[in-house]
Amino acid sequence: MLGGVGDRFDLGFDELDDLQLAVERLLAEAGAQDELRIAVDLSEGCLTTRIGPLSKTTIVEALQGPESRPGDLNLRRVLETVVDAFAVEEVNRDGLYVTLDKRVHGIR
Amino acid sequence: MSSTSSEGRDRIGAAPVGTATGSDRDLLHRYHDGGERDARERLVQRHMPLVRALARRYAGRGEPLEDIEQVGAIGLLKAIDRYDLERDVALTTYATPNIVGEIKRHFRDKGWAIRIPRGLQELNARMSRTIERLTSGLGRSPTIAEIGRELSVTPEQVLEALEAGSAYAPMSLSSSPSGDAELDPMEAVGKEDEAFERSEQRVTLEPALAALPSRDREILRKRFEDGLTQTQIAEEVGISQMHVSRLIRKSLERMRSELGQ
Repeated sequence: MLGGVGDRFDLGFDELDDLQLAVERLLAEAGAQDELRIAVDLSEGCLTTRIGPLSKTTIVEALQGPESRPGDLNLRRVLETVVDAFAVEEVNRDGLYVTLDKRVHGIR
Repeated sequence: MSSTSSEGRDRIGAAPVGTATGSDRDLLHRYHDGGERDARERLVQRHMPLVRALARRYAGRGEPLEDIEQVGAIGLLKAIDRYDLERDVALTTYATPNIVGEIKRHFRDKGWAIRIPRGLQELNARMSRTIERLTSGLGRSPTIAEIGRELSVTPEQVLEALEAGSAYAPMSLSSSPSGDAELDPMEAVGKEDEAFERSEQRVTLEPALAALPSRDREILRKRFEDGLTQTQIAEEVGISQMHVSRLIRKSLERMRSELGQ
């Protein structure tokens, strides 16, 4: 799915790969989900991907804990590397949603 | 394949065992009785030539040889861990079927040679070279459309081939990393990485990092500590960008399994 989005927005291969890696690692840490929604918004050169609902609260700890230190190689560090910003939201008790912001240069 | 297996196994099993068995047993004792992980790593390093020799038999089936070697290394580690010191058998003799079994299981469960049409495999391989060439020519990473135009295929075909390229990697998008009870990620192939050794986090991460070959550790360090792009890493390490991408995914997944998260 993200591949199609990447093609539509003319993302570079590396940008698309970064975004895919972010989503893959997030879902891997989140564990099995009954249902998952992924929404992608584009605004002023920034691609925002919203993923959820995620049931695992450890995601919050992983993403809202202390900043990564040199040598860390956890979910937070991966996301810090491959996207420009990320955040955790709770939407109507529906569950946790994570947003990933990636500034992209491929968008014409 | 099967016609050459027994011949190769005998040859490989016979060569190093006669001179190395004694010290193998010493290392096995140190590992099993004394819990010395260093002894385990030495055994792995010593018998990696056996793994490589066995892995070569399965080359040319759509998987990079080094990936097959890594899978074979898992089999070697399992053999070391399961080795019964009461038994009077050479480690290589015991390890060979473990290594071959691990490789076969990999191809059966995850191998794209079985699941991915050859056309997609070939397109994936062509794409890897094309991405390098376009990246160099354009001075940036090419888009899907640009890759497709260069290869005279549709964007959909490019995306399909990209997906196929990662299909054999043990991703966890839909399955638990512990879903494969046979998988033992306790690999300890390669040398210590000094940069990670210095890290404050090494107490936590060390076992997981030790499970990776030294080159893969170096790639992770370049990507997540030094902040290099895949393209830059590919140039430095001398492999394709797509290969860097695959190795990063595979390494992260292995580390996650190792950390038991």
